[in-house]
Amino acid sequence: MNHLGFDTEKLKIGSFDFTCCEGCQLQLANHESTLPEFLALLDIRNFREISSERLDDSDIALVEGSITRSDEVERLKAIRAQAKVLVAYGTCACFGGMNAQKNKFPKEECIRTVYGDKQIDTMPEAHKISDFVQVDYSIPGCPVSKEEVERIVVSIATRSPIALPKYPVCVECKQRLNTCLFDLGEVCLGPISRAGCDAVCPSGKTVCLGCRGPADDINYASFTELVRDKGLSTEEMREKLAFYNGFTEYLNHEG
Amino acid sequence: MIYKVISKNEFRAFVDALVRANTSYGPRQVDTGRNGEPVYQFMPVSSASEIAFDYTVTTSSAKHLIMPFREELSKFRFRDGDWDQEVRYDAPPIVLFGLRPCDINAINILDEVMLNGPYPSPYYLARRKNTFIVGMDHLPLPDCFCRSMNRHTVSRGFNLFASDIGESYFLSINSSKAYNFLKEFETTEPTEEDDCKLIERRKLIKQSFKTNVEVTGLPMFLDLEFDSPIWEKWGNKCLNCGSCAMVCPTCYCYNVEERVATGLESSSRQRRLYSCNLIDFAEVSGGHNFRPKNGDRLKYRYYHHYRGFAINDNQQICVGCNRCGRTCLASINPKEVINDLRLEKESCMTCVSPSPQRS
Amino acid sequence: MHDLRFTIPAEELNREPFTRASPDFSKKSALMVTDRGYKCRITNIVPLSEHERLFQLRIVDPRERELFAFRPGQFLMLEVPGYGEAPISISSATSHREFIELCIRKAGHVTSALYEARPGAFVAVRGPFGTSFPMEAMQEHDVLLIAGGLGIAPLRAPLFWINDHRDHYRNVSFLYGAKEASQMLFAYQFEEWKTVSHIDLRTIVEKPDEKWTGRTGMITSLFEEITIDTKNTWAIVCGPPVMFKSVCTHLDKLGIPMNRMFVSLERRMHCGMGKCCRCMVGSTFTCLDGPVFDYWSVMNLKEAI
Repeated sequence: MNHLGFDTEKLKIGSFDFTCCEGCQLQLANHESTLPEFLALLDIRNFREISSERLDDSDIALVEGSITRSDEVERLKAIRAQAKVLVAYGTCACFGGMNAQKNKFPKEECIRTVYGDKQIDTMPEAHKISDFVQVDYSIPGCPVSKEEVERIVVSIATRSPIALPKYPVCVECKQRLNTCLFDLGEVCLGPISRAGCDAVCPSGKTVCLGCRGPADDINYASFTELVRDKGLSTEEMREKLAFYNGFTEYLNHEG
Repeated sequence: MIYKVISKNEFRAFVDALVRANTSYGPRQVDTGRNGEPVYQFMPVSSASEIAFDYTVTTSSAKHLIMPFREELSKFRFRDGDWDQEVRYDAPPIVLFGLRPCDINAINILDEVMLNGPYPSPYYLARRKNTFIVGMDHLPLPDCFCRSMNRHTVSRGFNLFASDIGESYFLSINSSKAYNFLKEFETTEPTEEDDCKLIERRKLIKQSFKTNVEVTGLPMFLDLEFDSPIWEKWGNKCLNCGSCAMVCPTCYCYNVEERVATGLESSSRQRRLYSCNLIDFAEVSGGHNFRPKNGDRLKYRYYHHYRGFAINDNQQICVGCNRCGRTCLASINPKEVINDLRLEKESCMTCVSPSPQRS
Repeated sequence: MHDLRFTIPAEELNREPFTRASPDFSKKSALMVTDRGYKCRITNIVPLSEHERLFQLRIVDPRERELFAFRPGQFLMLEVPGYGEAPISISSATSHREFIELCIRKAGHVTSALYEARPGAFVAVRGPFGTSFPMEAMQEHDVLLIAGGLGIAPLRAPLFWINDHRDHYRNVSFLYGAKEASQMLFAYQFEEWKTVSHIDLRTIVEKPDEKWTGRTGMITSLFEEITIDTKNTWAIVCGPPVMFKSVCTHLDKLGIPMNRMFVSLERRMHCGMGKCCRCMVGSTFTCLDGPVFDYWSVMNLKEAI
């Protein structure tokens, strides 16, 4: 593809993980049908799951995971200083993710529950990476959608702007002819969560927990009313909203 | 049109032969709802036994089988410094079984939208020409209001239509293909008694509607009420989720987007069903949004459905199936919105009670 | 095994050899024209200002080049393969059939891609689409053209048209305003329009820099300078909605009938063919019933301004 007069360049890419399961990184090696084409777009400089290279000259840094220790902050800032483009990669990096569950509990209680009496250096809260560094792009998802990652990498390679869908998951869910999970008596975050996942969870009869965060300009008031009207538990709704830490501004705002 | 009568068993055998020989879609139960009610969708079927002949209504319409949610318009194949454009609009034949009169009317409306005017769509035409439609009548659900839209009966747009007259079906045969297929099965000429039964059946259907939406003069009402506060009221409920447009049998507004293949060897221009309720529907390059508020967007959908667009002779495109009303999680439904609009207008005209404050 | 007795035969659309003749839609074979673009080579890119460039395109196939004809005010869909399509008004002369000129601001993803393109690159155009300025009806009258900023882009075609048929028109004035002097486009043509085309051209800038020696202020203040024969004047106004609204209100006060004022509306068309509904204004398609509307129609369109 060089009809506009420029050649696409291989993207020097590095992948870095913080507090996470590394599942999003693993997604990069997923989707075998287009894997060779996908890897051909990349010049992998640092990526421990698929390459032994350890170079620190990547243009694009994919940062996975949330920040839970002070030494991680330093490492993150060093990555930022070196990368031209820093991508918050996956729900943990974008919002804090599941790790932020601990934010609700006292620090000591968390440590004791998980590690017993062992001394652990950990921050009171799990943070999204934008709390410490400037983020150029976000690719949310738990895990990220490989199709979307491919699309975004192709966009960068072809110098095309990157955009996530602005609308909620319902659009994609309805296109897959799923039965609405509210009709089955469940609280689903589909109506307020950002689409782009092809409604993978509701299609498997699992409620959406909003791993991709809120869609643009959501109607939170109407959503809470809907949960109440259907006679469903608002407590359950709040738990779900807190699950990936993507809806904090709405939960906090509510008081 | 040729009329025949066929026993229910023989009809089943006919349907079985038809769906076995072709790529077919028909109503199937896909779930059981919260209150034990069955949930139906138009799904692929390969034998009559998979079809729910006595289904009530499908959650989503059959629209996507003629206008897919995502469809390739053209493909660009890149070669050194250049490209070639490929345009294809071939469609394999399909059978749509069990469509209700409102669903078939909806397809007739889409025909007018997509095939009339200065630029008929070849993509649509190819699919439409290759779609074999078998319709079936039914008793309306309590919230169906197709009678109000005058879409509860249908006289064109199908290959075959089956009306339930007790022990058998009264068939309206509207294509030579359907007529030829039926030659292999036992049908009889309608007797006078059959005609009577058909008339009774139609009467029964007509009398069974429990929901009436008063739509006379609605286009003018909508124009007068362009700045009505009711749009903000209902807009405040709207979740902007686009579910209504996805399940609607006539919502067709779309997005065109381009996807480059991962190997960069080609790019596909695609048509994707969109909804005017989605936040960026009226956004233009540079970010300006002509309809920034929920109420603006919701109003637009009602305008399209109940006022109609000039290019399509200001035709109302709603068929009254109420799928949007059933699907909407925020309980926005045409009946209540239109009644609200009327109340607002009528209270204003008779000056009995003051209109709500305009903000 | 499929029982062939019940298998539906595929219906083909009548497909005669692909033709580029002006579409005759009674024949379905002409359908293809609407979704296939004319391949164009970018022959020149002229920077006009910090944010605007003039792209000169040449349709590659000579037969197609001959067939591509448009009227002043019409737009086309510019396809940058791999990036998408955007509606762009045509800025060149209708009589000039060798090249198509498009004045483009870098705004969305398609125009951004175009800004990456080098001369020699291949793009495509579909169209032309939409309504045009009624140039014939304006004959034997005064013509007042008013543009704000990038609004000059759709005005170049009528300007060239007037130049080509100068004898048919009486007094022609062109009022052009911009925010800053550096945003004034096509300044290199002003002299030619004044002296060769005999157009009374006046410019104004809202925020002047030290180099600007001309008039300063809003475009409407230029009306003080000229005399308008309101009974015999047709107006074409292009610019951002706020601008054309204030200009048209002003012209209305002066006494020019609203159906003799023409504006060009901008919306984000996705198809250009009255199908996708993205460019709806009220119940009207900008792509079919517009982009050129008389001001009376605009006043009566819901949500137009």
